[in-house]
Amino acid sequence: MESFLCAFGVIAALTLILFVYLLNTARKRNAPITSSLTGKKEFLPVYITLADKPDSIVRGMDRFVAEVQKTESAGDKWRWAPMLIFLGGLGLMTIDGFLFLLGYKSLVFTAGGLALWVTALIFARHLRKSDSKDFSPRYTDVKNLIRTLRDDIKPGGTFNGHLDLTGAMLSSKVARTSKDTQNRITEHFRDEWLTFKAKLYDGNILRVSAIRKSKKRKSYWKRSPISGKMKSKPEKYKGAAQFLKVRIAVNPDVYVVKPGSAFKIGATIGKYKIAQLNTDGGIIDAVADSPFDEVEAEHILGFLQAAYSLLQRKAS
Amino acid sequence: MNRKIIPFAVAGVLTCLVMAVSTVFAFSGSVKAEKVESDVVWSSPFSGAESMKVIDLTGDGKDDLFVQSPGYLTALNENGEALFGFGYEQMKTTLGDVTGDNVEDIVVYHVDAGMSVDVINQGQPATIADTLNIGVPSRVAVIRFASGPQIVLGDSDGNLLALDSNGQVLWTSDFAAGEVRGMDDVRIGGQAYVAIASHDGTVAVFDSQGGILWQSAQEQLRRMRAFDLNSDGTGEIITGGEYGAFKIYDAANGGLLFEKSLGQAVSEVREVELDGNPSSREIVAGGKEGGIWAFSFDGATARQMWSASLSDKITEIAGIDVDDDGKQEAVVGDDSGKVAIFTANGTRHNLPDRTSGIARMDVGKLGNERYVIVADLNELQVNKISFSSIPGFQFTPLIVGGIISAVILIIAAILASIPGKPEMKVAFQDTSLASLSAQRRMLKESIADVERLRQAGEVTGEAYLARLKRLRADLADNEAAFKKQGYNIKVETVQCPNCGGTLELGMDKCEYCGQVLLS
Repeated sequence: MESFLCAFGVIAALTLILFVYLLNTARKRNAPITSSLTGKKEFLPVYITLADKPDSIVRGMDRFVAEVQKTESAGDKWRWAPMLIFLGGLGLMTIDGFLFLLGYKSLVFTAGGLALWVTALIFARHLRKSDSKDFSPRYTDVKNLIRTLRDDIKPGGTFNGHLDLTGAMLSSKVARTSKDTQNRITEHFRDEWLTFKAKLYDGNILRVSAIRKSKKRKSYWKRSPISGKMKSKPEKYKGAAQFLKVRIAVNPDVYVVKPGSAFKIGATIGKYKIAQLNTDGGIIDAVADSPFDEVEAEHILGFLQAAYSLLQRKAS
Repeated sequence: MNRKIIPFAVAGVLTCLVMAVSTVFAFSGSVKAEKVESDVVWSSPFSGAESMKVIDLTGDGKDDLFVQSPGYLTALNENGEALFGFGYEQMKTTLGDVTGDNVEDIVVYHVDAGMSVDVINQGQPATIADTLNIGVPSRVAVIRFASGPQIVLGDSDGNLLALDSNGQVLWTSDFAAGEVRGMDDVRIGGQAYVAIASHDGTVAVFDSQGGILWQSAQEQLRRMRAFDLNSDGTGEIITGGEYGAFKIYDAANGGLLFEKSLGQAVSEVREVELDGNPSSREIVAGGKEGGIWAFSFDGATARQMWSASLSDKITEIAGIDVDDDGKQEAVVGDDSGKVAIFTANGTRHNLPDRTSGIARMDVGKLGNERYVIVADLNELQVNKISFSSIPGFQFTPLIVGGIISAVILIIAAILASIPGKPEMKVAFQDTSLASLSAQRRMLKESIADVERLRQAGEVTGEAYLARLKRLRADLADNEAAFKKQGYNIKVETVQCPNCGGTLELGMDKCEYCGQVLLS
């Protein structure tokens, strides 16, 4: 009797899990997918090579979003179908139950119902595969940034660079590792998520790199001083910072570089604080950092605008 | 393969598999919807039934129901009304025509004036022997030897005594030291003998003079039955041991034909025609822990057909053809009051439970109908067993398989209609010479940046190589775009033949996999 109850309990639990899984498949996903390490929302991993005119890039980015949404909406149309198959399987099993009430013992319809449940599960898995994570806000930010800068680009000129939204803490982005006194390894990530170069309308050449540096301590084993047992300590997110590198090769026919009072080392511009500034040789080289995890496009644009305050147009 | 075809190809394979399995089940006959029901025709209080038989005891051509407890015996007609009944002390009974009137008599071996034997002929009792030199009754049998019928008595100490139909002692024997637990007539070359077994494990076959044809010893015995399993005129003796030994002996010489340990004391053994083939008979054995085994004997040896179990000690087994298919089903009762019917392939159908343990069961015709009579510890119950099945049910696997196949094909169609996910690596690339040249310059600057970062120690190891690999790949794409547009380009990249990574032309070793490049 106990083994029967145990088996019944296991079957009931598995059925419930399957039901909940299919119910969640049937419902449109609302809850964001979050990273187990940082607890932050995870986004669609996209890598975009930029080598086109600003308008073409903006259109291409819109088209790409539409394509992803088309796949997702095509799957969305059938999200209820696995649940329907599950209920169909339940219906088949009910026939066996009805036969049992009449005194007949049959497992044919139950077997068929189980087969339908397996089919429903596989179908649901495939539908979920067509789900996409949301686009990172950076995607829209960069699109807006390009849209804003398009009028400043030399006619027929292109943006060259990349937008890397594949993730900041991939193993391929470990710039270096360090060990502390307890031999614990910390990984230092360097994610150059945006870089572009463009020749501007005024003849200047603009180079921008947005970098996110983050740290993560790897998991390690530690012996408990009390019990003497070895315990595994999980990996730990140690924080991140944003960096912005801007280089403007100034057209000497149009501008002279005149260091001003607002754009100087230590000045805070939006979310950035200028850490290095060099204006020698008619080239503005600035490095700014930000303690914020995320920096929006408006702050990058604001920083570029502030850098332009160093330039004084020559009298024609 | 086209991604729209793959779901249909997989669905096609799965559909074939499902339909193949469905067809096998449909045509193997293994899928059935059958039920066996039992209706109580009449019941009568009777406690402690020890022996029961449906048999004509009055000579009117109609079977009656004989039932006996340790202190009382009675014969009931088809409606359950008592025809006669007598009380005896510590009696053991058997049925057989002792008087020669072609009507079965009841032979009662009991304690009265010493040990006595009564014969009840058509309801009229008569003592044919008393003060016999034998112990407390254990078994009695009427054996129809060629020389005439004999009443063979066995006591609780292993002594035997044979009487003729007038009560005269013909022979005696003290062949064993334990209680006589089995006594059956057995044919050898068409002639009648008596097979007797005692609790101490002695098995012997006696002739009409009390001579022992053969004798063997084994573990303590619970049951012994003799049947002619292959209808060759020479019987087989089946024994069930206290410790699970199940043996079949050749009645002619005591040769062991089959032996198997059942793992629990064998509490009952009966012959049931399970496969409907009269040239071989099947044996169903029950165990003290509820085990049930069916064996088929082919004339040389036996093989197990199936095994099953009930929840308590098997107390009785009987055979009845419930569904009129020419094959008997085994009706099995246990000590907790459960009664179940097992078919030739071991499929089980439960009959209603009884409130007390099953004592005896028999199958026979009372009036115009065949009934299963069940005696539990408190009452007799005459049951009409009915069998019903859903016609055509064996083809339901085809219907179920069809439904599953249809669902699989619909799913394949849906999956094929969903467009594939777009690549997550996208390039927005202008193909003008100026644009491609600008991109090329940018990539070279980026490569130089990565190199500079490495030299500054800002980027090391895997990250450096990963970034470099990506930029070089972009550079190779750029070169390809140049070529595609028909612009002149000096190729500066080469692909590693081992890992496929893009390298700068002139390198002699792949930075990613270590492959030596000989170009």
